[in-house]
Amino acid sequence: MPSRYQPSREFHVVVLGAGGVGKSCLTAQFVHNEWIESYDPTIEDSYRTQVSVDGRQVVLEILDTAGTEQFVAMRDLYMKSGQGFLLVFSITSKTSLQEITSLREEIIRIKDDENIPIVIVGNKSDLEEQRQVERAKAYSLSQRWQAPYYESSARTRMNVDEVFVDLCRQMLRRDDVYDRSADHDDYYAKPEDAHTSGRKRRRRKRDHTRCVIL
Amino acid sequence: MTSSGMLNDEPMRESLQVAPLTIQKAQSGDHGADTMSSANMYSQSDITPPVTPNGSQEDLNTPPNDTKMFHSFLRAFYPFSPTYAMTDSTVTLPLNEGDVVLVHSIHTNGWADGTLLASGARGWLPTNYCEPYDPDELRNLLKALLNFWDLLRSAGINDSEVFGNQEFMKGIIAGVRYLLERADCLTRESPLVQSNDRLRRGRKSLLSELSSLVKTAKRLLEMQKLAETADDVNDIIDEMILKAFKIVTKGVRFLDILESDRRERASSVAAMDTRFEETHIPPTPPADATTFGDKDSQGKAKDADTRADGSGADAELRVPQTSASGPTTVIANKRVSSLYPPASASSNRLSHSNQVQTSSLSSTVSHRVSLVGTSNHHASPQNFVSERLLSCHDIFLTYSASLIGRLHLQSQSRPHLALAIKQSASSGGDLLVVVDVVCAKNALGSEFLHQSRTAMCDGIRNLVYTARDIINNPSGEFDDVVMPQDSSRLLAAATDCVIATGDCVHKTKLIIERIGDSEFEADNGSLGIDLDLGCLDVVQYESERRPSTATSDPSSVTESSVSEAATTTSTAVSVVSTAPSRLLTLSVDKPLPDVPQVMSPLGETQITSTPPTSRPQSLTEDAPAIARSSVTSVRPELPPLPKISTSLLSEEEYSPTEHSAEHEGEFQPSFRIESMTASSTGSNNTSLSRVSESSFVSQTSTRATTPDISSGPKNQLSLSELSTTESSTLTEEVDEVESKLLEKTFAHELIFNKEGQVTGGSLAALVERLTSHESTPDAMFVSTFYLTFRLFSTPKMLAESLIDRFDYVGEAPHMASAVRLRVYNAFKGWLESHWRDELDREALPKIQQFAEFKLSTVLPSAGKRLLELSLRVMSMDGTLVPRLVSSMGKTSTSISLYIPADTPIPASILTKSQTNLLNNWRAGGTCPTVLDFDPLEIARQLTIKQMTVFCSIMPEELLGSQWMKKGGVNAPNVKAMSSFSTELSNLVADTILQYSEVKKRASVIKQWIKIAHQCLELHNYDALMAIICSLNSSTITRLRRTWDIISPKRRQMLKHLQGIVEPSQNNKILRARLHDHVPPCLPFLGMFLTDLTFVDIGNPATKTSDNGMTLINFDKHTRTAKIIGELQRFQIPYRLTEVPDLQEWLQYQIIRVRELEMQQGNSVQVSYYRKSLLLEPRETQTLRTPVETPAGVNGPNGMFSWMRANSSSTSNPLAVAAQT
Repeated sequence: MPSRYQPSREFHVVVLGAGGVGKSCLTAQFVHNEWIESYDPTIEDSYRTQVSVDGRQVVLEILDTAGTEQFVAMRDLYMKSGQGFLLVFSITSKTSLQEITSLREEIIRIKDDENIPIVIVGNKSDLEEQRQVERAKAYSLSQRWQAPYYESSARTRMNVDEVFVDLCRQMLRRDDVYDRSADHDDYYAKPEDAHTSGRKRRRRKRDHTRCVIL
Repeated sequence: MTSSGMLNDEPMRESLQVAPLTIQKAQSGDHGADTMSSANMYSQSDITPPVTPNGSQEDLNTPPNDTKMFHSFLRAFYPFSPTYAMTDSTVTLPLNEGDVVLVHSIHTNGWADGTLLASGARGWLPTNYCEPYDPDELRNLLKALLNFWDLLRSAGINDSEVFGNQEFMKGIIAGVRYLLERADCLTRESPLVQSNDRLRRGRKSLLSELSSLVKTAKRLLEMQKLAETADDVNDIIDEMILKAFKIVTKGVRFLDILESDRRERASSVAAMDTRFEETHIPPTPPADATTFGDKDSQGKAKDADTRADGSGADAELRVPQTSASGPTTVIANKRVSSLYPPASASSNRLSHSNQVQTSSLSSTVSHRVSLVGTSNHHASPQNFVSERLLSCHDIFLTYSASLIGRLHLQSQSRPHLALAIKQSASSGGDLLVVVDVVCAKNALGSEFLHQSRTAMCDGIRNLVYTARDIINNPSGEFDDVVMPQDSSRLLAAATDCVIATGDCVHKTKLIIERIGDSEFEADNGSLGIDLDLGCLDVVQYESERRPSTATSDPSSVTESSVSEAATTTSTAVSVVSTAPSRLLTLSVDKPLPDVPQVMSPLGETQITSTPPTSRPQSLTEDAPAIARSSVTSVRPELPPLPKISTSLLSEEEYSPTEHSAEHEGEFQPSFRIESMTASSTGSNNTSLSRVSESSFVSQTSTRATTPDISSGPKNQLSLSELSTTESSTLTEEVDEVESKLLEKTFAHELIFNKEGQVTGGSLAALVERLTSHESTPDAMFVSTFYLTFRLFSTPKMLAESLIDRFDYVGEAPHMASAVRLRVYNAFKGWLESHWRDELDREALPKIQQFAEFKLSTVLPSAGKRLLELSLRVMSMDGTLVPRLVSSMGKTSTSISLYIPADTPIPASILTKSQTNLLNNWRAGGTCPTVLDFDPLEIARQLTIKQMTVFCSIMPEELLGSQWMKKGGVNAPNVKAMSSFSTELSNLVADTILQYSEVKKRASVIKQWIKIAHQCLELHNYDALMAIICSLNSSTITRLRRTWDIISPKRRQMLKHLQGIVEPSQNNKILRARLHDHVPPCLPFLGMFLTDLTFVDIGNPATKTSDNGMTLINFDKHTRTAKIIGELQRFQIPYRLTEVPDLQEWLQYQIIRVRELEMQQGNSVQVSYYRKSLLLEPRETQTLRTPVETPAGVNGPNGMFSWMRANSSSTSNPLAVAAQT
């Protein structure tokens, strides 16, 4: 049960993308405290971080399974745990953009939710001279998906925080909406498909939050 | 050495003379420092003579203000003797001029918790008496000492790894070497050493100290081997730390000698130019008039000397101690060579006053000079109220500090306490007198001041009354001891008192500023507070003590420095007192009439040398800055003190034994260590600390300096003892060490962490460590190096580095052969076990050439062998000596360790009918299904299959994300693992979805749950992960009707299994299980891959050393190697029987899904999902079909019987899904 008196919320974010698009750089940049001299990814808190979004404290747990892209069957498991997704491609690789298209379909299938918070990230924006994916193209794609599009650079740390904050904002908004419409939500609840359980759990969670607010 | 070289060093030394405020400035922002130094500039220009051309430019370029936040080493610039009876408490350390201190932490109030290198004593000392000490020449040695200290202090005594490789010694040796190298005194034959006897002796004494340390370190190593008791080892470690201190002390002294030598040379060069000015300059030495004559004559003698020499032919080679220098010089030199720190330091200053000073000085120094100069002009002594106020406050604070410190002790002897309170109170009374004087003069704001005066008065009174109550009314049967509850009352009173006093002094100062300073005219005898302090006279004890208090400090200070010290004492102290609020921790007080005696020498000299204007000015500037930084650390209570030995030394032992000074090598005052166990009291309060956990420091770091007092005399090694025991063996040792020093080394290009592991270094330094001759470097380092060197270097560069190492070690004959053998071994290890021909081939010509022409001339057989090896690697595929895949992590013993060979291999579970099924299938019959076999046997065969692949993963496959690049061609086994994992997942989905009957699907799901469970029992987490992922995938979990007929028991089992592979919190549960897991075990490979990826990405390739060198970030590679080592730890096959038929069947199944995947491409998951939709279409509304009648179950083992029984009672399958 979510602690009702805790002002900060905790969200699970999954970072996805083809191998080599630098998504893990993005994650590392985001969670890495720069004053830490050496980074140890093997400890529990390696991927937990706190951000302030519009004055609200949010704890993010980031799941980035970099290095295991070949474990295709695992993706399902990872995606299930996510409440928000960062879909990263590299502006220097067209195939990486195709990859996120299928990733998005998979997410929507697994979460059974068209409106799951997603942010599209075109990484390696510092390599403008090697660009293969036009900004306009990526942008129109993101418009179709109704997801925000950012171009980032883990190297220059451009838009690194922004993409995570945007995702948080979406998740927070969504939480708030669910809080308000929770009653209806329950009423019109879909038949209890087992695979929507993740969503249901969250809905249950929201019920608690709603109690707090009302 | 050229004269310009010497001149370049001048500014360095001058910055040593930075006046006492530097540190505080650095802490509280440089604001004050700037204003002050500029102010000083002006005052200097008024008074000090014009500068000589010497070194003035360097001086402009290098402002003395050090912006560093924390200085690990300080050097006492003034002698400091705590003015209260030293015997009472050891909290505060006395300082001799020139003492070097290792700082552990600095309190915001300006007191530092430090260890005196000369004695090993630890305690509080005023930073304003010191300046940061970090001369270029000594930098490496000082840094090495820090490492040494950290390492020995933190290492457990059983840490044979740390002590085993003697690595900690290298830094010290390299530091000494660096010092000598910079001094041009590396070899005994160097002209400088030859020509200067003092240098020669200083060098020798430094080396003998070093050799003694080396010897002790070896003894430690032997003891470690013999598994001696912890106590003994600790003793040795303590001894080593003390010796390391001594080395540094001697290094400092050596540098001092060198500096004076340089100055003399410089002067001889500059003599022609400067003679004119010099003769016209009124001498402005910092010392007072009493010793002045002495110095002056010395200076003149030197001048004469200089002149004589300057006209001579070769100024460079001049020996400083020519007979011409006359008697005074001889005396001075003797003092220097006596190596008694204050003396040598003062002689430094002396020469400064003659030469350097007259050239350009750092502004702060000239400030001091100007003070003295002024005092000379103002013949009549001035006793300013402000001075008086500050000095009284200082005395008060000192006593109060002593009192408060004392109160933190568990139990207190009544008389001691009474004395301390009396002293505090009486000094407080003195202070009140001053305040009253100001009050009287200040017609305007007396109300303003009066209030705080009353508060202060009340505070003191309260303290005294409290004390009287406690002391005169014993609360328990222990008459003589003050109980803790009383102590805390007193503490509160004392603290209040200090606060009130601080406030009062502050206000008084404000008023003085307003009304202007004036001379102080008051009768010392009268107390500003009428209190019957007699009530505290419990015993006559204090009368015995007081005289000793009074005598201690003048005697301990050398004549020449007394007056000057006094001057600065007051300045310095005044800084402390400008921060009254912060000083809470230090003081409480009450006037005793007699105490001023103690201070009277100080007071008088103060008067003679008080500068008229500049000081108050600077004070006011200080105040705000200090006040700012003070806010944070006001604490109502001090943390409890560690217990302090109360068995203290008599006075003589304290005063430095001037005359052990006769022969060099015996400079240190014969402090017994335990007597000086300065309780590093409230270091919790510290604002700055070298080690971040300051409280931790104070607990642990006392090892060297505070041998357990109770543990008997054995521990109580005195330094003098140490040195005598050494002296006999010294001569031969010295030679050894000397040759050691001559070694060319890159040791200073290594960075270590606190555990003593290399975290960074240049290639040369790493190679040097790899081929260290004294000890085998630790296994982790070697394997990390071999494994990862291609990431930070190239094979060619490594070969060159090794060859270079082979070459330069030739300069050090005593170890050349050992090291060269190691170089050969390094090559051999590379070629035999770590050679990767496709990458390393480019280095081969170099290696062959080396083997043929260099190595074989020295070690013919080795050369031959290496050549052979190099020829063989060319013609071979893979490595010659099949690498124990895990040359790290996995020790050779591991297999036998974990699985004794005689463990019976479990028999395979394969019934006759199952065998028949398989035979039938091979003969072309129907293929058995997963349901046909025992889950345990399937799990076993899966495990064998996976483990074979896992065991063949080579470490290099895991480097640099190889498995992600070029489709993983360079990481075939990693790729095979991940493919198998995916295929297994697909197989699970495939076998479930192949049945259209709900019941069959359910039985397959159950079968897989059981298999997964058996995998867990076998510790095969990789298969567990794959199976659970599939069972938990949306494709399978959505089959609601199927799940409906699975028993809660199975679902419970699945839930448990899911929990284990849950990825949240960075695979917390899985990691916890794998940690210290005993093989055989097959971990989930993906976790390692993610870790490796993030280590690679999250850590930069290089790091920058303190001196700005870009070094290889070896830490990154160590982390990589550690993860790989952890993986290799599990590369141990299971002792399980392979069932070939079953393996074949398994392989067939895998290939079947693989082909399916190939057909479908990556969308195989999608096709499974579609299949799932077909089998159980999306339901628009709940439409629960009753459970189908069980179709013919072809499993002969009746495993579904329970299912029938359960099928009707199935509950909502959501329970399963909800566990995710």
